[in-house]
Amino acid sequence: MSNHLALARALVDLAANAEQAAAVQERGHCVVLAGPGSGKTKTLTTAMARCLVEDVVDPRGVACITYNNECAIELETRLAALGIASNDRAFIGTVHSFALTQVIVPYARCLPGLLPDEFRVASRAECRAAVEIAYSQVFDDQFDPHDRWGFAEEKRRRDVDRSRPDWRGCNPELADFIEAYEAELRRRSLIDFDDMPLIAFRMIQQHGWIRAALRARFPVLFVDEYQDLGYALHELVLLLCFAGGMRLFAVGDADQSIYGFTGADPELLQSLVARADVRVLRLRFNYRSGAKIIRASMGALGEERDYRGRDGAPDGDLFFWKVIGDIDTQARTIGNKILPVLLERHPAEEVAILYRAAWLGDKIAAALDAKDIPYVRTDGNALIKRSSRLARFIEGCARWTTGGWREANPPFARLLSQAKALVFGGRSSDAEEQMLSSQLIAFLRSGIDSGETTHFWLQRFWRELVTPWRAIARNPQGEWDVCSEIATRTDPARGGDIALNIFAGRIEGTGRVSLSTLHSAKGREFDAVILFGMNAGALPSQRDRKTPTALREARRLFYVGVTRPRKELAIVYQDGNPSPWVVELYKRSQQG
Amino acid sequence: MTSGETKYRIAWEGNVVRLARLSIRNFRNFEAIDIALAGNVVLLGENRVGKSNLLFAIRLVLDPTLADAARQLKLSDFWDGCELAKGPRIEVHLDFAGFDTDEAQAALLTDFRIAGDPTIARLSYVFRKKPEVGGPPQSSADCEFIVYGGGDESRPIPSRLRRRIALDMLDALRDAEGQLGSWRNSPLRPLLEDAIAGVDHASLEAVAADLDRATKALEAFPTVKALEDGLRSGILDLAGKTHDIDARLRFAPADPLRLFRSISMFIDNGKRGIAEASLGSANVALIALKLAEFAWRRAKNERNYSLLCIEEPEAHLHPQLQRGVFDKLFNAGDPNQALIVTSHSPTLAAVAPLRAIVHLKAQGGRTNAYSLANLPVTPEDLDDIERYLTATRSELLFSRGVIFVEGDAEETLMPAFADALGYNLDRLGISVCNVAGVNFTPYVKLAASLGFPFSVVTDWDPLDGTKPPLGIARTLDIWDAYASVSGREVLSAAQRARWDASDFAAFSKAWEQSGVFLNDQTFEVSVANTPALLGTLLDILSEQGFGSVRTKRIAAWRADMKVDPAQLLAMVADIGKGRLSAKIARKLPFGQHPPGYIAAAIRFVADRV
Repeated sequence: MSNHLALARALVDLAANAEQAAAVQERGHCVVLAGPGSGKTKTLTTAMARCLVEDVVDPRGVACITYNNECAIELETRLAALGIASNDRAFIGTVHSFALTQVIVPYARCLPGLLPDEFRVASRAECRAAVEIAYSQVFDDQFDPHDRWGFAEEKRRRDVDRSRPDWRGCNPELADFIEAYEAELRRRSLIDFDDMPLIAFRMIQQHGWIRAALRARFPVLFVDEYQDLGYALHELVLLLCFAGGMRLFAVGDADQSIYGFTGADPELLQSLVARADVRVLRLRFNYRSGAKIIRASMGALGEERDYRGRDGAPDGDLFFWKVIGDIDTQARTIGNKILPVLLERHPAEEVAILYRAAWLGDKIAAALDAKDIPYVRTDGNALIKRSSRLARFIEGCARWTTGGWREANPPFARLLSQAKALVFGGRSSDAEEQMLSSQLIAFLRSGIDSGETTHFWLQRFWRELVTPWRAIARNPQGEWDVCSEIATRTDPARGGDIALNIFAGRIEGTGRVSLSTLHSAKGREFDAVILFGMNAGALPSQRDRKTPTALREARRLFYVGVTRPRKELAIVYQDGNPSPWVVELYKRSQQG
Repeated sequence: MTSGETKYRIAWEGNVVRLARLSIRNFRNFEAIDIALAGNVVLLGENRVGKSNLLFAIRLVLDPTLADAARQLKLSDFWDGCELAKGPRIEVHLDFAGFDTDEAQAALLTDFRIAGDPTIARLSYVFRKKPEVGGPPQSSADCEFIVYGGGDESRPIPSRLRRRIALDMLDALRDAEGQLGSWRNSPLRPLLEDAIAGVDHASLEAVAADLDRATKALEAFPTVKALEDGLRSGILDLAGKTHDIDARLRFAPADPLRLFRSISMFIDNGKRGIAEASLGSANVALIALKLAEFAWRRAKNERNYSLLCIEEPEAHLHPQLQRGVFDKLFNAGDPNQALIVTSHSPTLAAVAPLRAIVHLKAQGGRTNAYSLANLPVTPEDLDDIERYLTATRSELLFSRGVIFVEGDAEETLMPAFADALGYNLDRLGISVCNVAGVNFTPYVKLAASLGFPFSVVTDWDPLDGTKPPLGIARTLDIWDAYASVSGREVLSAAQRARWDASDFAAFSKAWEQSGVFLNDQTFEVSVANTPALLGTLLDILSEQGFGSVRTKRIAAWRADMKVDPAQLLAMVADIGKGRLSAKIARKLPFGQHPPGYIAAAIRFVADRV
């Protein structure tokens, strides 16, 4: 299964870096603290490959939990290059998909009364309805149930182990609210996303045989982006690894923890680091950025780190663009002046414009449209969401139909296995696979040279694939609405329709500048990065200033943006109104 | 499991992976069978009862070498009683238990745990009408098969599982020679390939060079040279120059890497090839090689569990050899392999663990299966039974019915009594089982578990009258033993109390219905009190040439002195079962019946086999 030659090469590659080499060879619990550009993913994938070849004997395997599907897809691609396919021996996915596919689906049916027989994942509307019903059961007032639920949700994510006194000890009314909400979901045979790791945690905690079964299958657990994964995963790790005998290999960087709103807390990673039974390795080399940018990033973070650049790497360049005018003017300046200059030095796909929120992306998109500069958006308003498996499948189908079929790029077999995962959550009988296969190939072939635009092709996709598939789907995490959403956004009536081959290049295509929020840019890198809208009042915002935790997280978000470029960083802000962090960054960059 | 059964919990339960249960529906001889298994399986049963079909059912689920075309059954594979119009399904379900202790096995089987019990993994085969076919299926093409696990059709069994928990079929043992002879199928092949891989290339080259020299020397003999030239020109003549194959006479291929393919097994210190061995020796060699191959596959981590299926492995093996070979296979075996065999050999049955025995029996157009896997007896009782079933007595396992008796005399006389009644026990397949005492219950459980009709002949044993006769509690215990394995109601305390108070006549009459036949004196006394029988016995004893004490005693009894029944039967037992039976049959006038309760016990079983 694995490619020994590719692995041997990867091991040689890492040998020059003592910490990376030590991490890859580690046989006990291990946490790798990996700063920006330190080769974290390479270390992780090489460690996984080595572990599958040397430590873990077939038919046992390893599991790797990542922050989101996008990271999972990235890891799958990198592991495929090492000859390791995501299959029975290697699980790669989010904590939610681990909980669902490796714990709940196989074992919940063995525990009578735990879940309804045919449960599925609730839609947003169903969750909201359940919140309202639960609220009316627990509270007798006229406030907005959803405001209150915001607090309940936070408690729900934090108090993973409800057998602890905290659960009823503080805010017992929220505990009642949560329990009423969950009971309401169950009554309708539903679970929600936050339920997945919580249910899995309780199953693993209460049943030794489930712990043993997981250890039997996955003697080693890899966790990527530990700082972003929240309490549920942390409790699972404590249970499975420190109480349950699995070996832990975690990678993370507390400085890049930017998902507090989903329950992440950099302290969880720190608590692992503090354990005596964990070996901690710090990756100090930044292979990505020039020395100037590394220095500036210390100013961005407001703390010193002993990160070093690669010997002989160019220094990199910093540009501060003060623009006289509002945010629209700043966007136009980027389109008219800043970006064209960068595009002279770098291919378009190596240039990114990063900003705090999707509405800023709309401004930039309008500015680039005016100059006819092609771009691909990867923020919340993107046509294709990078983190949606269905969206990426649709894009893959479009690529196959618009020419990919000639050189099998993507191969039909991969599209089919993606379809299987989408419809059946991975497991399916031969007959089911055959049915899926014939429907898929018929649809794909009918699109070749049909001259359809994206909108009409997507409508057919909806009729010919989504409609029959959603009727038989067993994957409780259906996201079929993603398809209709794209169809709506490409509606010719709204002027959104595009040629299918252009749609097909949305993610992998070259020749396009990337537009991304700071959050979505995490884990990615570019030759040149433009940070847009780095104004006082926006970074940090009023809201960031409300709590010290939020303020620190906003600053880490800025740090994430600053650490994306390899060679050039351009910071755009309003003249006379820069973010105080930009000022600090400037000062730090002037020091040695 | 009821609380009463827990004390019989099998000691190794949960410690090692094993086959725990087999269910079959509507397949060939089987309408519906559900049997517990205890790892190894020894299938007993008469010819054509469906032993091979049961093996094939297991292969449908597990055999990695079975092609899809073989898994696509025919309509004729449905059990004869099926109404095709009702859309019957052929189903085979195989349960594994104990896999959680081995992490590799757990990793393979964990997805297939059944909803009702997470310690059990189930693998299933189903053959059924395709959903789109309306009306009854017209041919095999209207049906489809699926193989899945966990009782959930959406969980297909990956081929990896069937490779790693694999079944090997050693069908035609009679062709051991053929298997060993062909390179492709020989179990020697992987072992040799592995061994040769450990030899460096230069050494192989050296051997090839030596062989080449030997070949040259051979070719140098004029007669050999002439033969080779003759053959070559003959082929050339037939094939023409362009298709000539350049044939040569050689000891082995000249290519060092192919050299080892001509290595084969020789016997008798290398004097003779395996083809010249007796069939029995070749079979033993084949089984040994198969086991070596399994061990090798496990060492190479290609396998985690092996099931070796052998049909009638006793073929061509002398009983002593059978005993040695199967004792090793069953009792000193590897925990990661199990044996499934069909057999007609009492020798094999005697060395097999009792709990491995599965008895197939045709009843009313279907074959039913009876398993001893969960025989509810204590480990001590189990030891007793296994000791009892020595090679000579293990025929019990092949019988159709059993009469249980207390001692040697009954065992000796019973066949003669049956002859007198016109029943030939051997021909009827009825065994007489002497439990040497009154501990009938484990044996009753054994017979009931195997589905045998049985009767028990025992004494009333009244004691001194202050307590209930021992025969009462014994009879009630026998019933409870029978009930515990046949799903009947065991007796309540109140029912027992009522029976305790009953008298001999009422009690013995009532329990005859259930196959327990009581005698208010002892067996010995009732024989001595049956005049026609006593006379015949005394005649036979007189002819035995006993010593002076016994001779005198016989004479005194003939002279109307009161017979000492114990002495009488001690002498009878010394004559030996076979001889006595023949003598009585000759001397006892037909119709001179044995004591009534014995006749009833014989008829009870004879009418039910």
